[in-house]
Amino acid sequence: MALLDQHDLPVPEQESFLASFKTAFKDIREEKKGDWLGYLFITPAVILFLVFQGYPILRGLLMAFSDYRWLVPETQGLFKLNGLDNYLALLKDETFFRSFQITLRYTAFYLPLLLILSLGVALLIARVGSPRLASFYRIVAYIPVVLPVSVSMMMWRQIYNPQYGFLNSFLKNVLAIQDPPRWLSDPAWSLTAVLIPDLWLGFGYFTLLFLVGLYNIDGILYEAAAIDGANDWQQLIHITLPLLKPIITLVLITTGGLASAVVPVLTLFQTPAGPDRSMLTLGVYGFQTAFSIGDMRMGYAASMALVIGIFSMLFTALIFKLLNSERR
Amino acid sequence: MQKFLRTIPLNLALMIMVFVCLFPLYWSLVSSFKGRTELYESSPSLWIRQPTLANYQTVLSLSGGSEIPLYLWNSLKIGLGAVLVQFIVVSMAAYAFARIKFRGRDLIFYSLVLMMFIPRVGGLMATYELMDFLNLRNTHLGLILLFPSTISLSLLIMRQAFLAVPRELEEAAMIDGANTWQVFTRIAIPMAQSALVVISILTFLATWGDFITTYTMLDDPSLFTVSIAITQITGWSTMTAGNAATTYGSDNAAFVLAIIPVILVYILTQKWFVRGFQEGIIKL
Repeated sequence: MALLDQHDLPVPEQESFLASFKTAFKDIREEKKGDWLGYLFITPAVILFLVFQGYPILRGLLMAFSDYRWLVPETQGLFKLNGLDNYLALLKDETFFRSFQITLRYTAFYLPLLLILSLGVALLIARVGSPRLASFYRIVAYIPVVLPVSVSMMMWRQIYNPQYGFLNSFLKNVLAIQDPPRWLSDPAWSLTAVLIPDLWLGFGYFTLLFLVGLYNIDGILYEAAAIDGANDWQQLIHITLPLLKPIITLVLITTGGLASAVVPVLTLFQTPAGPDRSMLTLGVYGFQTAFSIGDMRMGYAASMALVIGIFSMLFTALIFKLLNSERR
Repeated sequence: MQKFLRTIPLNLALMIMVFVCLFPLYWSLVSSFKGRTELYESSPSLWIRQPTLANYQTVLSLSGGSEIPLYLWNSLKIGLGAVLVQFIVVSMAAYAFARIKFRGRDLIFYSLVLMMFIPRVGGLMATYELMDFLNLRNTHLGLILLFPSTISLSLLIMRQAFLAVPRELEEAAMIDGANTWQVFTRIAIPMAQSALVVISILTFLATWGDFITTYTMLDDPSLFTVSIAITQITGWSTMTAGNAATTYGSDNAAFVLAIIPVILVYILTQKWFVRGFQEGIIKL
């Protein structure tokens, strides 16, 4: 639920920043006062940042330990905390566990497919000889990323339309499938129905990330491997993938572990979380708890966000570990 | 010739990718030019037999009660407002971080950048409360201030750009009697133009396409951006019910109008994206 859209920015290496931060911290006592104009120049930016980004970080954390309800003023207040009550309630919340399950299932499909798809397309584009053609493919692959998500989802809605949509007309008339799925109203198909557009709108970003990595691999490595008799597949496994590991890491950080597909679920379906709430992922459940059902229990939703955050971190750490052990 | 033949499977595979990426856009575009009889065929065709502009007329006619022009205007207003705020705030701060010496400069800069990595637990809820407290919720001004406040990335890009401006130029101007403000506005900003374009595009596109933040901050339908409004106006429910099935074509016209600015900005500036990526990853 970060305000920052993950798709907007590549995440730089954190270590190097931490290092510069540390040296800056050490230097401060030796620095001279300098030009007061500097403070004047940075003031608007610092104020804007602290008010709209800095404060919500702290406020959100406090909220995660309170029973803050938007429609019940008595529950509000900066330090009206309720300790661990929210977390005890979460343990008894069946909907929470159900949405946890849905999220895990969705992530199990989404993350591997996203990696394979974006890496696959990147590998293909990297092989295109003509620079103009390669740039055409890059531009096209990135188009779904820049489109407004909600509009894209509306367009997908129409493609899924059981009567007038393209998909079912294609399945019926071309592939002769008599009874094509009712994508958006059949609980059995709702995961697939979200998965396809979600991959569609996400893969281009990671393709570009992978391409930057691929373009930076020294061609001599492949020539040397070819001389030693390595075939394409061996080159991929032993040269390309190991050298792309930093980018794969970056992809995993950027996707942030568990995938909730909040915006696709909220916009694609006519019903709040899909037919029979079959796509009630953690993110969607949190969003609904805070903004659309009951008393708007923002405190409870914030604790959910905290739990999701912790699990996402554990999840990412686990994948890192797997990646590392695989290489040895 | 043999070389050419060997590239065929590769390009074929990539053409499938192109098809999948562009198909939803194409489908909307074609549907937006179709008349009613053509739209509601049991096997809709991929091409238009009798193109019509009726759907666009419906969507764009203010007198006919269409609110799409209003939503487009709202989106434009918020997008340009956010870009303007970011331009002023970020370029000044980035210049100070790049060129003016003052105590704690680097510490403040790296703190601002590192804050980007702090997870925001309940950030949306906290922002909701904050905006309400500041009387900025349900206003365009609130969003115009909120979107550029994620300054970390643009600050990084702009600082890098100002560092790349030749020092001699600025020193020469100083000798000629220019003060810091004049050097900043007359030399540094024009020299850093391209980076300013990059951060402006990123912010404009993010603002135009945002769903979740705008959706939670705005209640009043007349304030909606096109990205929000489009999820509300679509005639999906009436369509499946089989009555008054008239909005399918105009919905598509609305989608196309909501996308055109984005596609234009993107196509005109796409070379910055790849460059932005490379700088983002390699230089940082």
